[in-house]
Amino acid sequence: MSLRSAVASRNLLYLLSLKELRTRYKKSIMGWAWSLLNPLTQMVIFSIIFLKVFIQIPPTGHPSGIKNFPLFFLCGLLPFNFFSISVGVAIGNVQGGAGLIKKVRFPHEHLVYSVVIAQFVTMLIEFSVLSVALIIGGNMVLPWLVPLLVILVFMTLFTTGVALTFAAANVFFHDVNYLWGILAQLLFYATPIIYDANNPRIPRSLRLIAAHSPTGSFITAVRNVMYDLTMPSLRDFAVIIVYSLSAFAFGTWVFTRLSPRFAEEM
Amino acid sequence: MSDVVLEVDHLTKTFRIHRERANSLKQRIAAKGRNRFDEFTALQDVTFDVSEGEVFGVIGHNGSGKSTLLKCMAGILRPNAGSVRVHRRMSALLELGAGFHPELSGRENVFLNAAILGMGRRDIATRFDEIVAFSGLEKFIDQPVKTYSSGMYVRLAFSVAINVDPRLLIIDEVLAVGDVTFQKRCLEKFVEFRNDGRTIVLVTHDLASVRNMCDRAVWLKQGQVTGEGDPKQLVEAYTESMLGSMQHTETGSTRRGSGELMINQVEMYVGDDPSPVMRFQTGDDVRFRLFYTATKAVPRPIFSLIIDALGGATVSAPCSRDVGLVPDVVSGDGWIDIVMPNISLLPGAYDVHTAVQDFNKQHEYDHLQLAARFDVTTGKPYESSGLVTLRPEWNFTEG
Repeated sequence: MSLRSAVASRNLLYLLSLKELRTRYKKSIMGWAWSLLNPLTQMVIFSIIFLKVFIQIPPTGHPSGIKNFPLFFLCGLLPFNFFSISVGVAIGNVQGGAGLIKKVRFPHEHLVYSVVIAQFVTMLIEFSVLSVALIIGGNMVLPWLVPLLVILVFMTLFTTGVALTFAAANVFFHDVNYLWGILAQLLFYATPIIYDANNPRIPRSLRLIAAHSPTGSFITAVRNVMYDLTMPSLRDFAVIIVYSLSAFAFGTWVFTRLSPRFAEEM
Repeated sequence: MSDVVLEVDHLTKTFRIHRERANSLKQRIAAKGRNRFDEFTALQDVTFDVSEGEVFGVIGHNGSGKSTLLKCMAGILRPNAGSVRVHRRMSALLELGAGFHPELSGRENVFLNAAILGMGRRDIATRFDEIVAFSGLEKFIDQPVKTYSSGMYVRLAFSVAINVDPRLLIIDEVLAVGDVTFQKRCLEKFVEFRNDGRTIVLVTHDLASVRNMCDRAVWLKQGQVTGEGDPKQLVEAYTESMLGSMQHTETGSTRRGSGELMINQVEMYVGDDPSPVMRFQTGDDVRFRLFYTATKAVPRPIFSLIIDALGGATVSAPCSRDVGLVPDVVSGDGWIDIVMPNISLLPGAYDVHTAVQDFNKQHEYDHLQLAARFDVTTGKPYESSGLVTLRPEWNFTEG
């Protein structure tokens, strides 16, 4: 239903996404550099904490043999940021689209899709920079970019589903906006971004949660192909597909049900 | 002509009015079990059809359900019962420039806005020049729209909206936009639309445009259709009901306003003849005399005389402020003479209304609808149709 409308008005979707990308860094001197600076800063902070404060050994990639915490960290951070920023911005975009929603008939889900697409483009740019860094660090990631793209596409479906759900709910209860802020923080630490989910020193139950939570399984898979240079197992792929399809289906269902009431609720 | 393009079928729309607006989860949970809202019926069982090529008016007070109806027709609100069926490509202009982004250039906004209004990429590209030309903003099209004046903003928005090329156009009261030149161009565009056989639905409380432009109209009152049909009769009935506080004078005229300064009577004289007349000829020197009474001193009042043709079109509406005649204060009784030498009105029946307002035309002291009625008979010059003669001079050259 909503996918069909997305195809029918793909021009609108394209232009809305373009608007997201064009307006994000308007009036800033550094422009798009900001999009790279944010993850780089986080990388510096966590590298110092991990390596110098807590004095941990960087996880080793199998079979790649790479041993580099900043790169390990970025392989997890970039997809996670894509997910959490997309959902956060989508919530705000639907809420901020009230003027439009109340005055024009158009497919509301485009307000969410356009954000996810714009964030996806941003993430691709970030990943190309990271790929160069990985190659310099000794990981020949070029052939692995194909499975990476497949994983990211599924992650996009998952992200879209979550974003649709939260953005729609937020129209009715603005708490959702704040709730997401806290949830995103919780997820950041529950997901193996600053640590390795395979580290045997972590209790087994926590490891299971970290590796198999929705965000955890995506990040683990991304790290498999980019850091370890190995294919995720078929089981891992199955989990990813189930997560993404069910999240997308649920989000679409919720959004389609709630969006006709947006105009009067806003 | 008989093809129905818009069907509004037993449309009902209710809103919940929350006694305590529960916009947070906590409030909603706390209020659970107790239904803390009232139902408000904005539209009740509204039914009408609009046929291809019609200009259809929707009139009603503020709060009569006009806007709700508009939003239901535009597909923005979902009705609780009944349906709206649209059989042609529709464009609804509720607000101009909804979705304009201030940081983007005019060009980018044209593309985005046209896409929001449902245009495809190729359509926009082919019509782009036309859109920009219509707005008259060629020079500024690559500037961000935040640098535009509000007039420019609206002009661009209107140009996009009108060029979406709808067969059915639904318009809210957004027509009063831009400067005089642009308004004229908009009006031309509407006439062009109408002549093309396109359908226009006009939702407004500008009664003059309903009377002059519409073929048919409905009147909404408290969410229900109170009347449907000939716009002239409907507007008259609507005006009557709207001025509930009006007193009917013995001559069938009606009056509204605060009443400190009132026009009691209007008399007409021809030439120097001291006896008032009800009938004169084209070309006579006619004097209108407005008798007034002020119950207290009224500073700087403005007097207007409005002459309408029987069909409702205003032929002329001279106003004392336009000629700079503004007395500092008016009190007691008196009269005002307005002389129209060699009058240009062609034969027919005409109605005279008067209005007395404060200098800024913000306050109405008095409005006497149908203060007088007069007939014009054949005089010189004579033309067989039209309302006034512009005293044409004919020259016929052969060869």
